[in-house]
Amino acid sequence: MNIIVCIKQVPEVTDADLEITSDGTDIDKEDLEMVINEWDNYAVEEAVRIKEAQGGKVTVVTLGDEDSEDVLRRALAMGADAAVLIDEEGFEGSDAAGIARGLLRVVEEMEFDLVLTGAQSSDDNWAQVGLLMAEWLGLPFASLAVKVEPKGETVVVHRELEANTLEEVELPLPAAVTIQTGINEPRYVSIMGIRKVRNIQIEEVSAGDLGLEASQIGKQGSSIEKIRLSLPEEGEGAEILTGTMEEICEKAAQVIKERGGVA
Amino acid sequence: MAHRPMFLMIGQAWIFYALAAIAVILFFGGLVLYLVTWKRVDRKGRPVFSWAAVRRTFEDAVLGKRTFKGDVTAGVMHLFIFWGFFALFMGTGVLSVHHYIVEFLRGRAYLVFSAAMELAGIVLVIGLLWAAVRRYLQRIPRLEHRAEDGLVLLWLIVVVVSGFMVEAVRLSAQDPAWRGWSFAGNVLAKLIPTSTASSLYPYLWWGHAVVSLGLIAAIPFTKLFHMLGAPASIYLQATRSPSGLIENEKASLFQLEDIVFFDACMRCGRCVEVCPSSGAGEPFAPRDFVQAVRKSLWRQNSPLGDIRFFMANGSQQVDEKLWYCTTCRACLEVCPVYGAAFEEVIKKRVEVIEEGTKVPPLLNQTLERLYRYNNPWESSKKRRAEWARGLDVNDITKEKDNIEFCYFVGCTTSLDTRAQEIAKSLVSILQAAHVRFGILGKKEPCCGDIARRVGELGLFMEQVDNCISLFEKYRIEEVVTSSPHCFHTFRNDYPEVLFRTRHYALVLDELIASGRVKPTKSLDLVVTYHDPCYLGRHNGVFEEPRRVIKSIPGIELREMVHNGPDSLCSGGGGGRMWKEDIDAETKMSEIRIREAHGTGASIVVTACPLCLIMLEDARKVQGLEDELKVMDLNELVLMSL
Repeated sequence: MNIIVCIKQVPEVTDADLEITSDGTDIDKEDLEMVINEWDNYAVEEAVRIKEAQGGKVTVVTLGDEDSEDVLRRALAMGADAAVLIDEEGFEGSDAAGIARGLLRVVEEMEFDLVLTGAQSSDDNWAQVGLLMAEWLGLPFASLAVKVEPKGETVVVHRELEANTLEEVELPLPAAVTIQTGINEPRYVSIMGIRKVRNIQIEEVSAGDLGLEASQIGKQGSSIEKIRLSLPEEGEGAEILTGTMEEICEKAAQVIKERGGVA
Repeated sequence: MAHRPMFLMIGQAWIFYALAAIAVILFFGGLVLYLVTWKRVDRKGRPVFSWAAVRRTFEDAVLGKRTFKGDVTAGVMHLFIFWGFFALFMGTGVLSVHHYIVEFLRGRAYLVFSAAMELAGIVLVIGLLWAAVRRYLQRIPRLEHRAEDGLVLLWLIVVVVSGFMVEAVRLSAQDPAWRGWSFAGNVLAKLIPTSTASSLYPYLWWGHAVVSLGLIAAIPFTKLFHMLGAPASIYLQATRSPSGLIENEKASLFQLEDIVFFDACMRCGRCVEVCPSSGAGEPFAPRDFVQAVRKSLWRQNSPLGDIRFFMANGSQQVDEKLWYCTTCRACLEVCPVYGAAFEEVIKKRVEVIEEGTKVPPLLNQTLERLYRYNNPWESSKKRRAEWARGLDVNDITKEKDNIEFCYFVGCTTSLDTRAQEIAKSLVSILQAAHVRFGILGKKEPCCGDIARRVGELGLFMEQVDNCISLFEKYRIEEVVTSSPHCFHTFRNDYPEVLFRTRHYALVLDELIASGRVKPTKSLDLVVTYHDPCYLGRHNGVFEEPRRVIKSIPGIELREMVHNGPDSLCSGGGGGRMWKEDIDAETKMSEIRIREAHGTGASIVVTACPLCLIMLEDARKVQGLEDELKVMDLNELVLMSL
């Protein structure tokens, strides 16, 4: 079973003080730590588990700057066998379709039974890349998978729907599936583990190598335009408590009591 | 002339020699298996010679000094069994020399020899019966009741008692003039009529021969291997290089010293008795862990699998239990063969971390964040120096004045609101004493303690490089830490470095001794002191913090039952603070806080941010908020200035 997993590096924003860039369309990533998109981490783990159980090969693909090598190395340390890095030059300002086009060109050149992506990415949240690739590759598609079970010619996928209902579907292989968080418990990747894969060659390709025109990708190829990004404003009913830790705790306790938080 | 007749009335001596040959082959064959297995576990392991180790082996193995530690009755019992057995073993050797080489046991020499053997036999029987009473009547909790335990004890008893009976029958049958010298055998002999004695003798002789030879053959295949393994382990642990200097990733592999320790283990359970995790009712016990790892190493490395008969079905699974250990070192403190079970836990953790799939989820996240933020508290680097705002502390990374030392605040002290008081009060004391010092501010990294203790050695080595290059960059030669954990890590886990590390308790002690800090305000208080494991047991700093406390006028220091090297861990070390909440009957910290409360003290003083947090929480859970306070040593000293 050969599996391709498309992954992405995103900024870690929990506990960070976010700032908007001067042109107002993005967050300032200068001081932020870059990590693998959470959904993609589950997707890599799922692919590696299937490989460990059934044999085959796992290839990870990402589109990003040279620092994105980190997430590829991490995936290799988890157990992926090969990695492809698509240089983001020319892709800046792409919509989901632009990114999917880049990944598509790499994926369609390879032999595979299953294409996995995270259900969405924590930064842009379009949740479209997996679907678009499936459509263009002409593959059966299932989204929000919480269980992926390849059975010879087909794959059985459990999809997480509203109110925790599960839908069980069977897709003929090859197929494309997007992975929901919680499908597994991603393994720990040790620093030594990452160091051990440092000699694995990562294949690097550019938009030009893939035969993509400027009109198909980046801002030019995007069918949507970012206008403005803003931080949430302090709304009605929000109250920020100030003072020492003890005073804050006391006030918080009072608020909870007054507004009926505790019976 | 007085002598002992050999092979009396034994016709076919060749049968005896054939049985003896089988026993010897089994015994030495077993020993070869040990050597092969040890070699496969650690290819490069070679014992080194050291007089200090020889001396320690003599004191602890031959004189049994260490078995007296904390349990005098066990020590005496052990000494009885050891000396009884050892003397009889030597006696058999002497008798062989007499029989096969030179005859010298005649007359007076024989009588003295005979009486000495008599005494040795009695001492051994007393020791063995005592052991049986301890295990099966007194039912001392740390002693197990496995089939092997009973059988080995019974076997030894049968060997000695049958020996006495053979002697008694011989005396009765022959009635030699010197029979009074065999004082125990003679008493038995009087019960046996001479007529039956002669016919009984061959049966008893053969019986005794078979069980004795069987015992020799059984040594490598039962816990009796302890008698060879224990001296070997005591010797090897004494030649071990200090703590765990990590040079070549060796720290993750089981070495000769480790496997010999596992094989020397008699399952005496002293470690279980002192283990704070076992004590809190958690499913971890150092002894069981050691046995499980021993089993898995034998399964992997021995050509014949595990050769211990009675442990064949034992578990070799340790995964989930691996994370309970706080690495408090209490187990090493009491282990008669000097085994450091907590170090073995760390080695096993390294395996699990590298494999990746069995790392508990919360630890997985903690390590990810530890790598990302360089602290385990999920706090951004920016917040690291917030505690010092408005305190006028020199930031070495901005300007380096002429400083006496760099105060290495540490992750927990920097970022936990309660623990920040340690830093704030130390700064006030140092400033009042006009001590010139600086901090690394936002640039201060993690020392690597957590990574080291949970077995993430790759991350640890990165953090080591990180710290060393930072210290070199700012030419830091003197480091003072808030946490005993940073102190220990810098001092014992870093490769040779150009800086000296002290814990602040040592600095306070010096400042008070030299008169730069003068606690003058009398405090009419009764306090007790909780020894942090990594300050006390791991680094031997017991006296200094106590001297600091006693230098405060009016204060009374009352010790807890467990103090000094016997101190009880409060549960924060070894990465435990950042792991899953573990369901236990009572938390370790709560057991500790109750003990502190029992002294009647109104304040528990400690000198570690992790202990401070654990005890502070336990105090609240136990509802002792009005009666008992938890304070850092700095806070206490500051009250008196």
